[in-house]
Amino acid sequence: MRYWAKVATFVAIVACLLFSLPHVSGVSAQDAVTAIAAADHALQAAFVSVSDTERAGANVSGLIARLNEAGSVLTSARAASDAGNYSDAASLAAFSDGLADGVVADAGVLKKNAVDQAAGWWMTVLFSVAGCAVFVTVLFLVWRWFERFHANRLSGRRPEVVG
Amino acid sequence: MWSLADYRYVFMAVGLIGVILLSVPSTLLVVRLPSGEQFSELYVLGPEHMAEGYPFNVSAGWNYSVYLDVRDDLGSVAYYEVVLKLRNSSEALPNDTSGVASPLPVLYRYEVFLEDGQTWEGTLNFSFSNVVFGKDVSLVSLMRVNADWVAVNKTAAWDNENKGYFLQLVMELWLYNTANGGFSFNDRYVSLWLNMTANY
Repeated sequence: MRYWAKVATFVAIVACLLFSLPHVSGVSAQDAVTAIAAADHALQAAFVSVSDTERAGANVSGLIARLNEAGSVLTSARAASDAGNYSDAASLAAFSDGLADGVVADAGVLKKNAVDQAAGWWMTVLFSVAGCAVFVTVLFLVWRWFERFHANRLSGRRPEVVG
Repeated sequence: MWSLADYRYVFMAVGLIGVILLSVPSTLLVVRLPSGEQFSELYVLGPEHMAEGYPFNVSAGWNYSVYLDVRDDLGSVAYYEVVLKLRNSSEALPNDTSGVASPLPVLYRYEVFLEDGQTWEGTLNFSFSNVVFGKDVSLVSLMRVNADWVAVNKTAAWDNENKGYFLQLVMELWLYNTANGGFSFNDRYVSLWLNMTANY
């Protein structure tokens, strides 16, 4: 009787382990495909953000480097999925997704700074217009002084009788 | 000696130059200089970074390597995908006049982000496995692209004219379009002809 109790316990433990294995190692092909699709979508959204940020006049070199890193991780995720390593594929895709989200956040900050900076365009125009006005006024005053100076110089000359 | 009228011209010239110089910063805010022709480049280099020495006679179990280069001259940032396909002589090539990509399955894809004027270079390492030769036909079952093994199951018939079992590695350039939110074939592709030979 004790023998059969031991066998039953052993079978129960093995059955529990077998049932729990898929949940421990965890990730099905479908999960990996879903994670990769999400990372792909995040990468595209991140690129749209970076593109908008560049159009706003910001320097996006750093963001482009990070997008390439995220793209490379996504490629590795696809390779892992093709090789049947769905757990690696899902975690790599999630990592790529996170990198892309980080790019979106930083692109937003950079874009705001660029827009704020561009909003100061009227200061440039103001300085140009004021600079032109001051320059023309000073030049005009110098010209008036020079006219008088020239006239005085001419009138101060003695006529000479030649011959 | 200069007359007063001559001096007037000198003052006017100085005034004009000064006004032009002072208005340059404002003018640049408004006027956009026309950009040049906008295009993308895709090319493949051999293992020595030269346009030569490309792999041609290939066998199972050997590793081959080439470099892929993409250049962005679109005037803005760009998101490219370089997709790799394998075809035999009877299968469709991309059509760069009608802008239609090859319908063959994608074996591998590179994600590439570039700024205007920037060039990306990636390595393409590949090898073949499970290659069998039958009567006037060869069958390649597996191909390794970088670290990724892909089932290709590609047959190549014996080419009696050129004496070989020819396969073509096709690399297409796709560009992400922010307006429609998807990739489209950029009418650019490069390819490598490979002659599958038996391992002696």
